[in-house]
Amino acid sequence: MGKFELSLTDFVKTAGLLLAAYAACRLLQPLTGAENNTALIFVLAVVIISRITKGYLYGIFASLVSMFCINYFFTYPYSQFNFSLSGYPVSFLTLFAVSTTVCALTAQAKRQTELAVDREKQAKELFELNQKLSEEQQEIRMVAEQEKIRNNLLRAISHDLRTPLTSIFGSSSTLLTDSTEALSNNSKKLLADIRDDSEWLIRMIENLLIVTKISSSPTALKKTEEAAEEIVAEAVSQTKKRYPKLEVTAHVPDQLLFVPMDPILIEQVLINLLENAIRHSGDTSHILLDVEKDGDYAVFAVSDRGRGLTEEILKMLEKGKLQSLNTGGDSTRGMGIGLSVCQSIVQAHNGYFKAENSRSGGAVFRFGLPLTTQKEETP
Amino acid sequence: MSSKRTILVVEDEASICNFITTILHSNGYTAVVAGSASQAKSMISSYCPDLILLDLGLPDMDGLDFLSSVRQWCHTPIIVVSARTHESEKVQALDLGADDYITKPFGISELTARIRTALRHADQVVSSAGVPASRFSAGDLMVDLDKRLVTVAGKEIHFTQIEFKIIALLCQHAGKVLTYDYILKQIWGPYAVNDNQILRVNMANIRRKLEENPASPKYILTELGVGYRMLENQ
Repeated sequence: MGKFELSLTDFVKTAGLLLAAYAACRLLQPLTGAENNTALIFVLAVVIISRITKGYLYGIFASLVSMFCINYFFTYPYSQFNFSLSGYPVSFLTLFAVSTTVCALTAQAKRQTELAVDREKQAKELFELNQKLSEEQQEIRMVAEQEKIRNNLLRAISHDLRTPLTSIFGSSSTLLTDSTEALSNNSKKLLADIRDDSEWLIRMIENLLIVTKISSSPTALKKTEEAAEEIVAEAVSQTKKRYPKLEVTAHVPDQLLFVPMDPILIEQVLINLLENAIRHSGDTSHILLDVEKDGDYAVFAVSDRGRGLTEEILKMLEKGKLQSLNTGGDSTRGMGIGLSVCQSIVQAHNGYFKAENSRSGGAVFRFGLPLTTQKEETP
Repeated sequence: MSSKRTILVVEDEASICNFITTILHSNGYTAVVAGSASQAKSMISSYCPDLILLDLGLPDMDGLDFLSSVRQWCHTPIIVVSARTHESEKVQALDLGADDYITKPFGISELTARIRTALRHADQVVSSAGVPASRFSAGDLMVDLDKRLVTVAGKEIHFTQIEFKIIALLCQHAGKVLTYDYILKQIWGPYAVNDNQILRVNMANIRRKLEENPASPKYILTELGVGYRMLENQ
């Protein structure tokens, strides 16, 4: 509000107070008689006016009026204006100074009150924002806790599932190899199915357990320098235990290649890819497992000579929508889980994972692992 | 008539016990079962088994604790049964004195092979009173420890001193797994640095000289996260 805007309320206040001052002086005149008191009463009026009106206008106006009043009504010569006496300019100036000072003080006080109100508003907003943030933080923490609980549960269940599966696998294998039991060919076939299926389930559970291991602490992956050829050899021999007719041509670079990795996890990736190649291509021969150094990466490639991957599957792989791969019946059973585990493991190593069809028609799954362990950036 | 060997199976899961004892019986062993660590301890004293199959997931005591306490007074060969992805557990067991391990789910032939190897090594120690055999052969590989000669299908292969020492060590324990640490300490001494890179590099060089394809080795097998194993002589 400008200093010079007029307001009816303020004018009424000013007039009222001046009148009150005049009345008070008139009443007190016969009692005290001293001129000083009239001045003081008018000063009080001016102070109050300055305090309760907006801006300087009313205060200054009141000072002027007070001065005239004092001069005219309460000073010798009475009931007339006389400004010749030397004290008046000083009186007026003093009144004027008093009024302006009080006005200024009032304005300042008002400003400070406004500021205080503003600050309080700001503080309140900050407080609310802080609350909201800490609520969000709480939510994040809760979600993380839930993830942890879910992981632990998954791990416990998988662990518990492993024991009966081990006995199913073991018992069925024993019945098959136990030559003292006379079994019909059909019984042998049924037992073989039991054994194979339980072995497949065990592999799936191992995949699940690995996923819980990774998702619970993605940055705590412990990498050691491993010889690429050793991982390849182990993955192949593990897969051969399940598929004795497997023929894999494995090739590693002549120069020993050390790759920082978690050996069990990368072995799992290779096992999953090899099993995929066998199941998907429907063929246990002509599977190639290649390792080579490509710049800063060690690149592993598993290729088969099967039917290759359909456009649909390639698209799903690119988008990372691997769960929906389990729709095609037996040949794709477990492909989704197996491949998504591969992706998770490779990602946790800061590597890349790609799938494509080779020129000879089969599928090629390729993943690269960084050879240097630079500071890993959080994704 | 040779007496049957006795194998103590320390396993609390009844169903797993069943098929293991069936396998053992069909392979000519006598099997006795202990369902807990305390039961096992008393059975070791009373049966004096030739071999112990120890599952590391026992109900009343940590399998590794049991192993270390048993090893203080008993030198019977012990094979621990572990799960896949429990590599550090396997290494610890081997360091605490286990002779070998087998991973669930295990194949029948794998189990019987490991048992045979462990028993054979125990016998060798007893019969030759600690003097190692001078010749070793497995498949096309032939190693003459006295003459420091290695041939594959009759063709001689040259190795460095360190490389030969490693091969000799593996041959002496053929069929058994040797941890990285164990090999490091045996070859490079008890104060060897714990970084096993130097061992890996040596193994890679050995593999390239010995095997047709280093990516599919026939003789020296890798046990990921644990160590190495030499093919057993047949």
